[in-house]
Formats: sequence, structure tokens, C-alpha cells
Amino acid sequence: MTTSLTKSDFSRRGFLKGGAGLAFFLGAGGLSAVAVRAQNAEPLDVNPWLTISPSGTISIVFPSTEMGQSSYSTLPQILAEELDANWDDVVIAQLNEDDRTFGNPLFGGVLYTAGSTSVQGYYEPMRRAGAQARDVLLQIASRQLEVRKDSLRTEPSAVVAEDGTRLSYGALAASGTEDVQIPDADAIALKDPQDFRIIGQEVPRRDVPAKSTGKARYAIDVEIDNMAYAAVLRTPVEGETPRSVDDAEARAVAGVIDVVTLPDGVAVVAESLWAALGARDLVQVTWSDSSPARAFDSNATLAAYAEAARDPQAEAAVWAQTGDAASAIAKADRTVSHLYLSDYAYHAQIEPMAAVATVDPDGMGAEVWAGTQTQSWTTHTVMETLGTTQDRIRLNMMTMGGSFGRRTAFVQDYVRDAVLSSKAVGRPVKVIWTREDDVKHGTFRPAAAQKLEAGLTAHGRLTGWHHRVATPSVIGFFNPGRWEAVKPNDVISMRGAESKFYGIKDFQADHIITERQARLAPYRGIGAAYTSFAAEAFMDELAAEAGRDPLDFRLDLVEENPRGRHLLEKVAEMSGWRARGDRALGLSFAGYSSSMAAGVAEIEVDDDTGEIAVTQIWAAVDAGRIVSPDNAHNQIEGGIIFGISSALTERIDIEEGQVLQSNFFDYEILRADRVPQIDIYMATVEAPPTGVGEVGTPMASAAIANAFFAAKGQRLRHMPFTPDRVRDALQSELRLDL
Amino acid sequence: MTQFTLNGQSVEIDNPSDELLLLVIRDKLGLKGTKYGCGAAMCGACTVHVDGRPEFSCQLSVGDVAGAEVTTIEGLSEDGTHPLQKAWVDQQVPQCGYCQSGQIMRAAALLAENPNPSRTEIAEYMSANLCRCGTYNRIFKAVEQAAQEV
Repeated sequence: MTTSLTKSDFSRRGFLKGGAGLAFFLGAGGLSAVAVRAQNAEPLDVNPWLTISPSGTISIVFPSTEMGQSSYSTLPQILAEELDANWDDVVIAQLNEDDRTFGNPLFGGVLYTAGSTSVQGYYEPMRRAGAQARDVLLQIASRQLEVRKDSLRTEPSAVVAEDGTRLSYGALAASGTEDVQIPDADAIALKDPQDFRIIGQEVPRRDVPAKSTGKARYAIDVEIDNMAYAAVLRTPVEGETPRSVDDAEARAVAGVIDVVTLPDGVAVVAESLWAALGARDLVQVTWSDSSPARAFDSNATLAAYAEAARDPQAEAAVWAQTGDAASAIAKADRTVSHLYLSDYAYHAQIEPMAAVATVDPDGMGAEVWAGTQTQSWTTHTVMETLGTTQDRIRLNMMTMGGSFGRRTAFVQDYVRDAVLSSKAVGRPVKVIWTREDDVKHGTFRPAAAQKLEAGLTAHGRLTGWHHRVATPSVIGFFNPGRWEAVKPNDVISMRGAESKFYGIKDFQADHIITERQARLAPYRGIGAAYTSFAAEAFMDELAAEAGRDPLDFRLDLVEENPRGRHLLEKVAEMSGWRARGDRALGLSFAGYSSSMAAGVAEIEVDDDTGEIAVTQIWAAVDAGRIVSPDNAHNQIEGGIIFGISSALTERIDIEEGQVLQSNFFDYEILRADRVPQIDIYMATVEAPPTGVGEVGTPMASAAIANAFFAAKGQRLRHMPFTPDRVRDALQSELRLDL
Repeated sequence: MTQFTLNGQSVEIDNPSDELLLLVIRDKLGLKGTKYGCGAAMCGACTVHVDGRPEFSCQLSVGDVAGAEVTTIEGLSEDGTHPLQKAWVDQQVPQCGYCQSGQIMRAAALLAENPNPSRTEIAEYMSANLCRCGTYNRIFKAVEQAAQEV
């Protein structure tokens, strides 16, 4: 039940004789025109959100891309709800071009699937689009039946009159739009949520059967006639270029078609991936050796960031500020200050980078199959690579085998390499990265050093909070043009440091924008993946210093956030917090964007090995209205597991500009035998949806660190909490005992 | 020329005998349900059955399976209604879905060996396969559901 929709397809359909059906054309401001596609219809150069065919099939555009988050199902459900469609009549049309008509309202109209924004951003416009279409159907029925519009009602995919006459949406779509008035998008009445039939219901995901039978197709699976395969030998250090290439041996391998020099690598193109990989090992490249990146060393980087975080004079951009933190801390009864560190982390999506391109014979156009988080920047990448115009690019946005921020860059090198390789050999080419390619040439969550300082009153209450984050600008690397527009505010680097779910009267968070010493990218949870670790671990330290229960200490700070207070109380109830005795429980309260999560972790520590076992997580989440509850549960649980994994094992090291890790044996992600039981409560609230894809992640690491303190009386201030670091912390416990 | 049985059908292929079974299945024989994830026996996305045993097809050459019976996700059931596949749909397990062919093949091998595994046994057995989306708890539930039916 999937269709693909591009502008050219639709224009072509516009000429079809007798193919009458309703098309709703929505501009940025909503429904702007409506027409019957009939014998003499003009070709149409707008891209409709929905079409209803005379057979009753309702096609709804999916403007985002799918990487497992299921907005592929969820977004069309929103429109279908207000249209009052029978969900079984709906087919989903992947948007396959950079048509800003459908741009993400939360990314300035760029087609960008990131930041848990799809449901949040498209909820209102897609509801209004559905409601407008429903109103038009009512008008047509009113004319047909010669009754007043307000005497009619809708049932799924049908208009029903008072006398019981039913007109299906398909029949109405075929009956002409004469005298139809387009209702105003802003004024149109939306459904009372009590009447929802789709939103908030258990609607199964559309893609699950294909994903349970091996039938789902990802970019890595695309196969087209005459296609060749390419493996790319990439520069070992960022910023270097191939100076000379000795490819004689590689070219002698059976099946090798060509060896193509790329700006930062060498592609071996062959009849099979096996031949390409084998020949790649035989290519001898002399690389340039002048890149400053050769000096990148992750230990030195983190030490430098820590020094910057400790230095009160270090230049910083204010990220968030309320009142006067410095004065409040200066006047406090006691002050507390700690430093928190976190290493680079890798996305580890299970599908490695892959793309297929077939460049047109004139070299000025291409069809591309790729999984990316943005139609806009993929289009841009192909345009720049070929020096061509947008109309020459045909995209096929493939469902992704995970992404988590991996495929967000402004320039997508794997897409570029497929295009350049295809252009060179005059055939379609599929580029596949190996896992080692993906780790060694990954783009990472930045390393960070964070200094937190706060004051306590004589009564053990918080007064004044200063959070300094020493980390580079992520946006400055993965989208430099964007950085010019937004600097010095980098939401990717800093999200979470605003601690906005608490009402802290005198508050400041600063970004010490350090030098970038690795390739960087957005990563599930973005800044909150580490800023919330530091903030919530520190909050626990403050509570201990104040001699107060960590729950009570936090409850002081949510007086003006009743929804947040509810989550803290709920998770305390779920976990038996008040009666925890000597159980090793840790509390954390964080979130993502406007979604909030309170979590409690229970852990066990193996003193000999230093292994932490997380045995149970309880989470209470408020993400506004939940459009698709079962999927939301799955996303939140996945986000928590991502957070646990990142807290326990995930670490990228760099020496002499090269990544030391190479595969899942030295970059470990959480396996089934380390997965805790997870109990999730989702608050029912009358509020717009705010996203579920990342809300589970930020609170997890501090919950574990705080549980470790409950268990062992020591603090873990460097993420991940690898066995060596845990043993070090336990050693300091022994020293205290002495 | 290497002969083996793939999903019940005899196949003969002339790829180099040291070529990875994974690539032969995907690119020569065109069955794309078996996935490449790591090439290092670390993620399990490539899991197939060889004479009934779960194997990483990224660790076998096609010569290794000469004469053997190989089953991929496409051959687990004729119409996608193996009890595990039905349970995967009932429990709405997949997110990105990329690892799930391998998970289901691993789970099928588990149930063949141990028709009534405990939660701990499931978790240990399934630890050969990674899921970055974090669907593990749903996988456990789906395996338990299927075990009731098998």
C-alpha cells in the first residue's frame, strides 16, 4: 500500500483522460484550490497533500523520511483523522523531492526529519488539511443531495445524510466541484479529540509485515539493471586528498570496471561488491599529509575541553539565562561544583551508508536511491556534485535501517560518491560502506566537558545554577551555512543545558565553543544526551550535599510545572522510591524539546569486574497528545535503551586523526542479555504532541550514575561508565574506608 | 560451480567459491531479506540457517555450504505466517526493521532447539543479534508468544 509521488508523476496523471478524482492542493498556507481532474484538466504543477480517487483510495503525502520512528504511518494518520477517512482506504505517498510546500515547519520549511519534530511540526497543518478536504466533501454531498451541509455528518470515508443516505468519499470525488468554496485554513473547525477514531488508537504500523518477512527494501537493497558496485577507500584522516593512486593490481582483479578518484577517496567500481572489496585492498594511495586533523587526539581533546570548562575566564556564549546566577551562588550558604566528562559516541545504525545513483548520459541529471533524513540536502548534494539544477534530479527516499542523526549532513558524501562513480563509469552504481568504513569515517556526538556550580541555602534548597558546557559547535561542522545564520546558538551542541523543566530563579547556561577535533553530527538526544547527564547527576550530588531526598530536592523546582511534578511523583510511585530501603535506585528528570521524562534506574554492580547491570527502568513520560500510543511506547523504550547503551559502553577514541574503533567488537552497543525490564507510563494530557523519538534517551545516563551512588556511595562523572572507570570509582571508595 | 539447497530449491552458482555466502544470497540470488550489518559476526543481521543451525552468512563462503540446506527469511514460511512472523506483527516489534530478519531467524533456531525457553534463555540466545532501535523487550515477548504456538 505504498505509492511514490513526484511532481512529474502527478503532472502526467493530470493529463489522464477520464481519470476523474479529487485533488486537494495545499500551498504553505493550506488548501488553496480544488479541481476535478478530468478530460481537459490543466497539467498541475503543485504537489497535493491528498488525492481521493473514484475508487475510494485516499493517497496522503508523507513529507518526512522513515528511519524506524514510524512517522511514515503516524503523519498520514493525523490527516486521515480530520478527513474522517477509513484508515484502510489510505495509501501513503512518500515525498521524493525537495518540494518546500511540504517543508518541516520546525526547520524553516526545509525537508528535514530530525529532532523528534515530525508529529510536532506537521500535527496542526495536516489536521487542517484533512479538515478542509472533509469540508469540501460535505459541500459536494450537500449539492448532490440538495440538503443543508450542516445536516450532514461523516463516518469513515463516507458522508451520511439525516435520512441515512450514504455517499462514499470515492463517489463524491468523482462528482465535480462546481460551486465548492474552499474553507479558510485558520478558521476551520477541527474535531473534538473525544471524537478521534484514529489518533490515540492502536493503529498498527503499515511497515511491520514487510519488516517481519524480509520484504522491506532499504537503499542497500536497491537493484537496477546494469548496476555496478563500488567500495570506497577513504582518506584515513579528515582533510587529506589522494595525491597519487596506484591501481594496477586492483584493475587486474576479475570484475573490476574502473577505479575512480574522488575528492577524499578512491572508489573501486566492479561487477560485484565482492570484487570491489577485494580490489580495494590492492589499491595503493599516497595521501596528502598536511591536514591539521592529523593532530586530533581524543584524550588531549577532552583534557583541553576540561581545562576550558574549569577556566572561569574562558570565553562563552550565553545559551540560557534567568535572574543572576553568579550573585545567587555568591550569596549561598554553601556552594557545590563538579566537572562531568563524556566521550565521542557513534550512531551505530545497523544499515551502513549506502546509495545508488544513475547519472544521465549528458552528466547533468541523475536518479538517486538513498536513505537520508532530508530530501532537501540530498537534492542539494546531487545538484552540487553535478553542477545542475533541481529539475534534473529524481530522488527515491528509501526507508532507513536506523539513522539517529547519521544521515543529516548538508553534504552527503556517500550519495556524492555514488553520483561521481556512476558518472565516471556510465552505469548505475551502488556505493556500500562496510561497517569499518562507517565507524572509521563516522560523524560523532561531540566530546564534552561540563562544569556545574550551584548554591544551597541553609535549609538545603537550591539557589543559583551555573552550567558551562565546553564542546564544539556541531552545526558549524555538519551545516556551516546554517551556523553562519544561528551562531553562537547551537541547539545541537547545547540542548538540555537550559534545564527548562525546572523553575530555577537564578540560572545560567553557557556554551564554551571549543575547537572541533573530530567529525561531528547530531545524535539521538543531541546535546541533551550529555548535558542532561551532567545536570541530573549534579542535581543528585546537590541533594546529597543538602542532606535531602533527591525526589524532594527536585520537587522544590517543579512548582510551576505541574505536568513535570506529576511525572516525578508517578515514577516514584512506580519504582517504590519512598520505600526503597537499600535498593540501588537512581532518579533523573530530563527530556527533549518540550517532551519530559522522569526515570528511575535500578542497578547491580559487580565489584570485581566493574560491570554495571541495569536491572529495571521505570519511566514516566509526557509528550503531549500521543498520536500512536503503541508506537510511542516502542520509541520511548528504544530511546531508553539507546541511553543505557550510551551510558555503559559507547566510546570513540581518536589518535593521530584516526578513529581507533572499527566494528561492534570494539564499539559495543547494548545486547539482549543486558536489557532491563522497562515500565513506561505515558501521561494523558490535553496538549499538542511534542515528540517521542528522543525523550527516553537523555534521562537514562544520570539515572544509572545516581543509582551507582545509591549502591556504592561514589560518583561516576565520566560517561560512558566503562568497567575501568567503575573500578576506579570503587577504588576511591576503598580509600575512603581506609 | 557450487551447488546447495536454498529455501528448498537446488541452486548452482558459479561465483568464486570463497565469495561470502551473504553476498551470493543477496546479489546473485536476489534475496534481499538477509542483511549486511557488520561482516564480523557481531550483529547477526545476516543470520540464516545452514542445515538447521543459525549461522552468520557473513562468516561463510559459498563453498562452505556446498551440498548444504540454507534457509533465509524468505524461506522460513511460504507466506510470512510462521508463528514468529505472526508474533512479530502482533507485538509490533520492528522499528527500522533492518535487523529483524536476522532476529527472526535466530529466534526460529532457538525455538527449534528449545521449544519453551525462559525469558533469560531467550535473552542469552538472542544476544548474538543487535537491534539499535532497542526493540529487545518486544522481541522477547514475540518469542514467548510464538513458543505458545509452536
